[in-house]
Amino acid sequence: MKKMWLIGLNTFRESIRKKTLYIILIFALIVIGASKLFSFLTAEEELKMIKDVSFSAIEFFGALIAIFGSLYALSGEIERRTIYTLLTKPIRRSDFVIGKFFGVSMIIFVNFILASAFFIGLLIFKKSPPDIQVFKTLLLIFFELILIGSITLALGTFTSDAFNIICSFFLYIVGHLTSYGKELIERMESVVMRGLTDMLYTLVPNYENFNIRDKIVVGLDVSWSYVGWTILYGILYLCIALEIALYFFEKREI
Amino acid sequence: MAIIETKELTKHYILGKKKIVVGLEKVNLEVNQGEIFGILGPNGSGKTTCLKLLLGILFPTSGQAYIMGKPPYDVEMKQHVGFLPENPYYYDYLTGPELLQFYASLFGIDSDTSKKRIDELLELVELHNVRRLHLRHYSKGMLERIGLAASLINDPEILILDEPTTGLDPIGCRDTRNLLLKLKEQGKTILLSSHFLSEVERVCDRIAIFHRGYLLATGTLDGLNKQYQAENLEDLFVKTICTFDNQQAVKTGEAT
Repeated sequence: MKKMWLIGLNTFRESIRKKTLYIILIFALIVIGASKLFSFLTAEEELKMIKDVSFSAIEFFGALIAIFGSLYALSGEIERRTIYTLLTKPIRRSDFVIGKFFGVSMIIFVNFILASAFFIGLLIFKKSPPDIQVFKTLLLIFFELILIGSITLALGTFTSDAFNIICSFFLYIVGHLTSYGKELIERMESVVMRGLTDMLYTLVPNYENFNIRDKIVVGLDVSWSYVGWTILYGILYLCIALEIALYFFEKREI
Repeated sequence: MAIIETKELTKHYILGKKKIVVGLEKVNLEVNQGEIFGILGPNGSGKTTCLKLLLGILFPTSGQAYIMGKPPYDVEMKQHVGFLPENPYYYDYLTGPELLQFYASLFGIDSDTSKKRIDELLELVELHNVRRLHLRHYSKGMLERIGLAASLINDPEILILDEPTTGLDPIGCRDTRNLLLKLKEQGKTILLSSHFLSEVERVCDRIAIFHRGYLLATGTLDGLNKQYQAENLEDLFVKTICTFDNQQAVKTGEAT
């Protein structure tokens, strides 16, 4: 466990020293820009817009960090050949993969916390401190980002970088469209196509489960039970992704 | 007693549907405890492949490799091994001491011991004056030296070095040579691959000559020189390789 932690910490240190956190500045500019842009609206509408834009920006930039962070965490070690020295140390290949997952999770977490803190600060500045529903939304976004990161990491153990990026973004987009996909499947006439699409629907994680911001922005409540089950759903997918990563990396020649 | 051993170790690379490239072919190698053993060969002869198989970076097509009687993936065995890869690349966002500290932590060395060890090693490889410099600003020779220090961080019983003097100036080469001899005096076993014949000639107790994935000859330099009626290592090297190539050419000719 300690070795996984050390590898994770080193991955995180790299992102700090290579100034990955600068992406937060872009997030801040978007949120500040949005708050200025919607200042002509009523106070209530402006808050809704700020929340909507901020949640979307936290999720989108977080997804970018999760995908590129995971991609670089693995392929960076292989391309720079630093992995040669690392794997000859007394560590298991599983320590390396899980360590990388810890590192990427730390990167996602710090970016997420900074962006969320900025967003919450803005809400407080607008004299509308966040309620528990805002925190539920943020919690689910965080688990979605961790899941996205773990899937990219798993893909990186057996695919090329280019294929990994395409797949990760494909899954990110399709994962947000799966709710519409279900309707589409029901309307399909071809049994084969319905079967294939149904299989895809089952395999692809439904990222829309993590999206409760549309409800929260308009003032609806989401229960803790829903949040809990969705987190459990995310953890299940995450475990499958890590298991796939371990399986392929154990067999991979460097 | 053999501390490093390979039995019929074979590595084939599959390129395309039918083409197989021989990385290593049925290599039987024994490195005895406390000796400096040199693996010689031209580029692409299988030296690095052999080392990577020994360390579990590559998986063999067939055959076995053992270090201290343990297979390459054994974590406990790696606790006693130091490795310097060819053209070492390290985390360029770290300083020398940070890199050594990271590796020391992976070996489970406590902070007091590692701090002392890092100071000694930086002094040894003469990088103690650039402690705060990030590795991205290091020259090729400095990277080679920090790599050597990193391979010694766990005070290993076995040291595996892949082209340890590439990128070093003549003084650096001499210092490395002297260090290897000093480590041998301390009872370390050293397996080094190189294509610098003079370097191997000066430090190695025994050598092995690789070519196109085959182990052509192994033994002491004097013994091999007598066996192949060679005047020196260069002569021996050329003779073994040319003999092999001629034999292969005859085989290919017979086959066609």
